[in-house]
Amino acid sequence: MSNMYIKTVTGMSVVVAALMMSPVFAAEHGVTTAPKGSSSNVAWTAEMVEFVAKGDKNRGGQLNQDLFCASCHGQVGIAPSANWPSLAGQRAEYTFKMLKDYKEGKRKGSHSAEIMTATSQLVSDQDMADLAQFYASFTLPPLPVGVSFDAAVGAQSKSIVTRGDGKRLVAPCQSCHVANGEGQETDTPALAGQTPDYFIKTMQEYKTGARSSDVYSRMRLIAKVLTDEEIVQMAHYYAGLTAK
Amino acid sequence: MSMIHIDPLEKRWLWAIGGMLAIFWGVQIYYAAAENMHPPSNVEVIDSAKLHLSGEFAEDNLGVKKEADGSYTVTMVAARYGFYPQEIEVPAKTPVKLRIASFDVLHGVHVPFSNMNTMVVPGYVSEVHTEFQTPGSFPMICNEYCGLGHDYMYSKLHVTAGKS
Repeated sequence: MSNMYIKTVTGMSVVVAALMMSPVFAAEHGVTTAPKGSSSNVAWTAEMVEFVAKGDKNRGGQLNQDLFCASCHGQVGIAPSANWPSLAGQRAEYTFKMLKDYKEGKRKGSHSAEIMTATSQLVSDQDMADLAQFYASFTLPPLPVGVSFDAAVGAQSKSIVTRGDGKRLVAPCQSCHVANGEGQETDTPALAGQTPDYFIKTMQEYKTGARSSDVYSRMRLIAKVLTDEEIVQMAHYYAGLTAK
Repeated sequence: MSMIHIDPLEKRWLWAIGGMLAIFWGVQIYYAAAENMHPPSNVEVIDSAKLHLSGEFAEDNLGVKKEADGSYTVTMVAARYGFYPQEIEVPAKTPVKLRIASFDVLHGVHVPFSNMNTMVVPGYVSEVHTEFQTPGSFPMICNEYCGLGHDYMYSKLHVTAGKS
């Protein structure tokens, strides 16, 4: 346990140090404007899909330790706190795209994004593919101990999740994220088992436009017309999808 | 050489089918000539995977532009499940050139009560020239099955009251 604690503290220090030294940190600290130009430089050409598919999950597991990803995202991709996302069972293409977006300054808008932007400067494309395959090799997470969700609140989002809202041009969540919340190709992320806090944070960042690496604003446009209450309901719905 | 025997009933069906073909073909020719409905003639290739990194279909470039000659060019992307930008506005009775490309799979675009109807094939740019006649708000509907959210794939076209 104390060993784990030391690792976590060391991990945090490395991350913070990387953050302080990063020119991105200096340039972007406190500034949360949307990036100019394209939302993301990642393009899913056949070569890119193949490159990510060939990522080495064993090497990824080593990087998860060495780069201290595990201190926030967990040893097996299950985040030990509600503030950071679990990555277990996440689609490799999505994890890869996020790392690229962070590294290239396309994903900003929050303090945690700044930390990831700084950390991602340390990894190569190959590292990203390896890490992505490492997390993808696990099944979708149960909620971490201590994080609860309210199934009754979640059930209230059933209509948006399964039927959408044509009047607001909102397609059903499950048409892209699929019925069991596991995401689909190429880079539509899995949502099942994600902590409600992180889910809400993400949707609010899309809603304000602070998070803007979704190409053609496809999530921003949806989040913008959802009410805060609906977002909370969805968070509980998806948190409960893998928890039994 | 003897004639092939054709049963009288069979012969009547042959005439009936021939007649139906002539009528359908006539309808097609009529609409092609009189209503300017035709398959897209513009064959232009584009890399759909890199669409957002291409010049023309980059995110900052989408939307309605007025040309020097008074006509309009609309640049749009079809992606599961919507057309982007989600809402566009053009004047009625004015030449409009729509250029649409797919970011992922096969889509279609149809605007009811107009001749705006084209497939959007990944890897190609679909170009349609039209004039919207009736002011009002219309849906742009995807009419090629593209996935689970296909029946939710529509956006809004506002046609304003003609030339100012």
